[in-house]
Amino acid sequence: MPKCTINGKEVEVKEGSSIIEAMQVSGDRIAHYCWHPGLSVAGVCRVCMVEIEGNPRVQIACNTAVTEGMKINNTSDKVKDAVKWGLDFHLINHPLDCPICDQAGECGLQDQYMEYGKYDPEMAEPKQKKHKVVDLGPTIVLDSERCILCSRCVRFTEEVSKTNELGIFNRGDRSEIGTHDGMKLDNNYSLNTVDICPVGALTSKDFRFRQRAWYLKDAETICNGCSTGCNVKVYFNKEGFFRVKPTFNEQVNGHWMCDEGRNVYKFVNKEHRLLKAQVKGQGSSWTEMSAGAAAKAAAEVIKAAAADSLALVLTAQYSVEEFEAIVTTFVKDFKSNKIYFWINNKEAFDNFDGLLVRGDKNPNTKGLLKVLEKHGITATWNELSRGLKSGAIKTVVVAAPENQVVFPDFADRVKELSQAQNLIWLQSGQNEALKKLDGNVWLIPMKTFVEKDGTFINHSGLEQKFKKVTLVVSEALTLTEAALLLAGKNLNIHATSANEFLPLNQRLDQVAVEARKKNEFVFKRGNL
Amino acid sequence: MSVMQNNSEKAKWYLPGILGGLWITGKHLVKNLLNRNKMMTLNYPEEKYEYSPRFKGNHVLTVKKDGSLRCTACMLCATNCPAECITITAAEHNNPEVEKFPISYEIDILRCVFCGFCEEACPVDAIRLGPEWQTPALNGSNFIYDINHLAFRPNLKGGIQTHVDDEERHKQGI
Ligand code: SF4
Ligand code: SF4
Ligand code: SF4
Ligand code: SF4
Ligand code: FES
Repeated sequence: MPKCTINGKEVEVKEGSSIIEAMQVSGDRIAHYCWHPGLSVAGVCRVCMVEIEGNPRVQIACNTAVTEGMKINNTSDKVKDAVKWGLDFHLINHPLDCPICDQAGECGLQDQYMEYGKYDPEMAEPKQKKHKVVDLGPTIVLDSERCILCSRCVRFTEEVSKTNELGIFNRGDRSEIGTHDGMKLDNNYSLNTVDICPVGALTSKDFRFRQRAWYLKDAETICNGCSTGCNVKVYFNKEGFFRVKPTFNEQVNGHWMCDEGRNVYKFVNKEHRLLKAQVKGQGSSWTEMSAGAAAKAAAEVIKAAAADSLALVLTAQYSVEEFEAIVTTFVKDFKSNKIYFWINNKEAFDNFDGLLVRGDKNPNTKGLLKVLEKHGITATWNELSRGLKSGAIKTVVVAAPENQVVFPDFADRVKELSQAQNLIWLQSGQNEALKKLDGNVWLIPMKTFVEKDGTFINHSGLEQKFKKVTLVVSEALTLTEAALLLAGKNLNIHATSANEFLPLNQRLDQVAVEARKKNEFVFKRGNL
Repeated sequence: MSVMQNNSEKAKWYLPGILGGLWITGKHLVKNLLNRNKMMTLNYPEEKYEYSPRFKGNHVLTVKKDGSLRCTACMLCATNCPAECITITAAEHNNPEVEKFPISYEIDILRCVFCGFCEEACPVDAIRLGPEWQTPALNGSNFIYDINHLAFRPNLKGGIQTHVDDEERHKQGI
């Protein structure tokens, strides 16, 4: 464990770590474009300069190992000068079209040139023109003028996705990123290259031009796209959610996430959601109700129903706490053991692509199984089918999926379940199949995973807690609330320290002005 | 509500103040009657007051040589606007040299405080505050100005050209 001194502070680091890693440990700021904690070291951007005592020249921090007693400094004028002129070389051919660049606001290069005041390059020659708006594949657009040739994206396709689509072509100032002949950048991890690109050279087609980065807030949550449960950040504002990016968690996803998971923001947005409860009797048309009122009306029906004609269908898309609440309600209050697990794609459940994606497209299968086991529930879907056919099961409560895309059997199951006399359907999103339902139906809007606190248990049994991000449909219910209302109880709002009123400037989560003044983004670049 | 009452001795001497005011009014009345062409008031709307050419009135979106919008939909004006009255929706342009352009650009002129910050924020001289200010309308929705109005209203005669020109910029290699 070598000890070194960084900017006057003593730091102890792991054997063999580089200076830049030591600076991450010590919390010192250092600019870096080509180094990424999840990739190999390239040492091409030359902005991570540090001064080491005893060395006549400045050196790069990312490719120099820490040795015992090293004295490192990156705040001296000599270092600043080196970074400044290194930056100038990056800007020689850079178009600086920040106004139309999607990266502006979270761009490493922009932050640096603003800091060093290098608004214009000091070159007399005209800038080298390269290709703009290059279609690299189904998800990504490249602007080679903005590229600073840090090679992060190339190393990503080489080392992480192992698909090798990208390369650097031509030489000197004509070098450009591109895909190998006839290939497209088309793999399930391609959008990670957009995240790690320190500039706006790679942009995501899905997010392109939809919002400026500074209009978005972010919050951490767990991706509900599959049973891996990647740790992600969702970006949103009052218009809705706009994108998902991974955050670092060594145990689960490292620095990455898959492209499919980037779509989980879509079904939480208002235009795909059920905003009001829809209620309907046999042969009549739909009437709109507020969610709570519909749940209370449904509670009357459940109360009148005999225990053995009552069934519950669960999908593994809700949190452990919610499963616990609704299963307890059924077992204890309604005295019904008819609880069934709706499995979406049984054949593919154990598939794994070797990196992150799993075939089980539910975030909380383990959690549901755990709760069912705890209550000793063993019912199978076949029993439900038989019960529905024979008419023994009359009233069914369905906790339907949020992410309908991964339920290819959705319409079939709706049809099967519609045999029940009374159908209480709890779901967050709209669906055409539900509109066509006939009989006594209560369609009650649910909250999605970004609107509630909870726990998901991932494929390996790891419990991951997530916090509420924001509200999209404020009147929607969580499964816990629905369970209470269906049991005929009332919802009580308890004053906790989290929801009691506090003047804005006294809240703990307020960002202090001091913290805002710091150039947070450069500082965080590496762990994006 | 509490009402403050000033019961001091001094407050009882209000009459001289009122009479002083009336005296000034009367003075101007007599002056104007005797010398009508020096009167300060105008017979609006028949007569109109000429403002300075730098007056900041209703916005104009400038156009390029070919008549298309100069705006690149960078949203810097919307970000800078203290009244939050600019709404822009950006889209991808077919021409890769243009890349980004606004498919909708709306200014809620009733909320605008005519500060001119949008003009200052714009990197490409795409928005200016023009000299117009008398723009009545019959209902609220007429005060949300869209691209058609901002860039191509009849009195702009086909749009105002900017001096920033893309082609020249590209030739110079900027
Ligand atoms: S990559 Fe960064 S510096 Fe370059 S145009 Fe985009 S925001 Fe500006
Ligand atoms: S496209 Fe981005 S990540 Fe790839 S080399 Fe260029 S700057 Fe680096
Ligand atoms: S003049 Fe001021 S208030 Fe009006 S649109 Fe421009 S920035 Fe906004
Ligand atoms: S008017 Fe100017 S500042 Fe506003 S979006 Fe258009 S280019 Fe940007
Ligand atoms: S050279 Fe060290 S981060 Fe690029």
